[in-house]
Amino acid sequence: MEETKLIELAKSGDRQALASLVKNNEQTVFNFSFKICRDRDKAEHIMQETFYSMIKNLHQFDGHSKLSTWLYRIVSNHCLMMARKDKSKSFVSIDNDDELYEDRYTADWSTIPNQNIENDELKKILDDSINKLSPEYRIVFLLRDVEGLSTEETAKLAELSVPAVKSRLHRARAFLRKELNKAFSR
Amino acid sequence: MSEQNPNCKDVMQHICESLGEDLESDKCVAIKHHLDNCPDCQKYFNTIGLTIDYYKKYNVRLTDDAHKRLMNFLDLSDCDK
Repeated sequence: MEETKLIELAKSGDRQALASLVKNNEQTVFNFSFKICRDRDKAEHIMQETFYSMIKNLHQFDGHSKLSTWLYRIVSNHCLMMARKDKSKSFVSIDNDDELYEDRYTADWSTIPNQNIENDELKKILDDSINKLSPEYRIVFLLRDVEGLSTEETAKLAELSVPAVKSRLHRARAFLRKELNKAFSR
Repeated sequence: MSEQNPNCKDVMQHICESLGEDLESDKCVAIKHHLDNCPDCQKYFNTIGLTIDYYKKYNVRLTDDAHKRLMNFLDLSDCDK
């Protein structure tokens, strides 16, 4: 059944339709939650809270965007709230452009062994690198570059201006590339 | 974008789209021209493309147990066929 029909039925109290909406989107929500927090338990908790919010607020969903886009916003908000509560975590500053680009001429990744993404060592490098990035930058990078939303959609979801999205995106990309470059150079 | 080795056009497209620029805009044409003639920049932008690609491919699967816990949490277990 089409998503719009399922939403219509779910809004009128059809629990089977509601369950279908959850099942159709749970993998996307879990995966996106994991990509932000890099922890399976936290990702599961955020997924549960996200669908709880979806059910509670489904009557407000106007259908002008895809349901998954609306869910990205809920996940992002939950992740930001969780990160702000966790005062023990600190993130690196990426405001200095010179530092971000200082090694731009040294990289040669064509010789890196084990480029397969199923490689645990590579996964650890990816986790460690993105974990240094503050959630505000992480969310923009993930929505725009990894999930493929447009700059305008990302700006709307993250409640930022389009120039702010572009600025965060460039810095996040450059920072992650630099971190991977450092790890691959070891 | 190819899996291991995005070409300059892939990277250019990505960069210009995210800049909000049309691929044929003066700015993009100028960047493309520079990239065509600058191996260092090509290397840099290729590694930006690879960085994005790695994060795109790193996905996790929801386990059956986690799915069941979700349906239970939402009080929808009876609708889970």
